[in-house]
Amino acid sequence: MNLRISQIGFGLLLSVAVNAVETPNPPKANKQFSTEQSCVEPIEIMRRYHGHFLKHHRNDTMHSGVRTTQHSLIECINCHVTADDDGNYPNVNEGSEHFCRSCHNYAAVTIDCFQCHASKPEKK
Amino acid sequence: MGFWTEFYALSFYLATLILLAGLAHKIYQYAKTPAPLKVPTMPAPLTQRGVVLRLLSEVIFFRSLFRANKWIWLFGMLFHGALWLVLMRHLRYFTEPVWTWVVLIQPIGQYASFAMMLGLVGLLVRRIVVERIRYISSPSDYLMLILLLVIGGSGMMMTFVAHTDIVQFKTFVLGVMSFDWQEIPTDSMLLIHLGAILLLMIIFPFSKLLHAPGVFFSPSRNQVDNSREKRHVAKWAIKQFETKQN
Repeated sequence: MNLRISQIGFGLLLSVAVNAVETPNPPKANKQFSTEQSCVEPIEIMRRYHGHFLKHHRNDTMHSGVRTTQHSLIECINCHVTADDDGNYPNVNEGSEHFCRSCHNYAAVTIDCFQCHASKPEKK
Repeated sequence: MGFWTEFYALSFYLATLILLAGLAHKIYQYAKTPAPLKVPTMPAPLTQRGVVLRLLSEVIFFRSLFRANKWIWLFGMLFHGALWLVLMRHLRYFTEPVWTWVVLIQPIGQYASFAMMLGLVGLLVRRIVVERIRYISSPSDYLMLILLLVIGGSGMMMTFVAHTDIVQFKTFVLGVMSFDWQEIPTDSMLLIHLGAILLLMIIFPFSKLLHAPGVFFSPSRNQVDNSREKRHVAKWAIKQFETKQN
C-alpha cells in the first residue's frame, strides 16, 4: 500500500515541474550538551518550546534573581552563533545567516530579544 | 515517508480538487440560472456602479443583515472579520520568503483568534437557545459551526499552549505545493486542525458555506433599478415568443 501511494506521489512529481522545497539552513552549534543529548533539552522539545524556556528563565532571573545557565540566552548564543572563516559573526538584523534568524525569518516570527541582549557570543 | 505525511498530502490534493471543481460547478450553475424578473429590493441603485457599491456594502459590512438582526450581525461580523485576519496570518506557511505585510500582521492575527471564537460561540448559542432557530436548524448547520470551532480551537491550542514544529510544518506545506513531499510533524493538535480543515474544504461546495460565492448572484441585490429605461427580457422568453409567432 505504501509503495502504491509513493508511486502516485512519484507520478505527480513527474507530471509537474518540480522546485526543490526551501528549508532554513541554520549553522551547526559549537558543541554537544552531553553525549546522549545534543541540546539542553531533546531536539524535538527545543524546536517547539525554546521560546517558553527563554521566557520562563527570564522571569525567574528578573523576579527571583535565579541565574542558571541551562536555559539562559547567553549560553544559546555562545554555542549556536558561530563565526565565519574571517572570524566575523553574522548580523542579527539582516539576512538569514544568524542562527535565530534562519528559522524565525522562515516562520515569520519576530523576536525582540536582541533589542537589549547581545546577538554575538561573549568575548573570552 | 511516514503514513501521516502521505495521508495528509494526498488528502489535500483530493480536498483541493473537490473544493475547486465543486465551486466552479456551483458558480457556473448560479451564473446560468435565469432571473426572468426585475426584482431589486428598493430603494435600489440606478446604475451599474451603484450596484457594485451595494454588493460591496453587503459583502464587507453585511448591510442587509445589520438591518434584519443586530445580534447575528455582531457575531457574524466578529467571526468573518477575524477569520480574514487569521487566514492572512496563515499565508506565512505558503510563501517563501514571507511578504513583509504578512510578517507585520502576525500578532494581530493571534488576537483575532479570540474574536473569531467569540463570534462562533455566539452563533452556536443562538442556534441552540433561540427556539425558532433551533426548530429550523439541520445537522449540517451544527456541523459547519462545530468544524469551525474545532479548527479555531486546535489552532489556538497550537499558538498558545501545545506548540508544533512550525518550521517542519512549513516545509510540509511547501512540499505538498511543489509535489516534493516533506515529513509532517505528527503532533495531535496539528493533525486535528488539518483534518477538520480538510472536512470543511470537502463539504464547502455542498453546504450553506456557498453563501460566499452566492451573495454575488442574489437577484434582489445585484440588479440595476432601470426597468423604465431598459426593457428587461429573459433570453428564453424571447425564444419561446419567436417560435410561437413563426
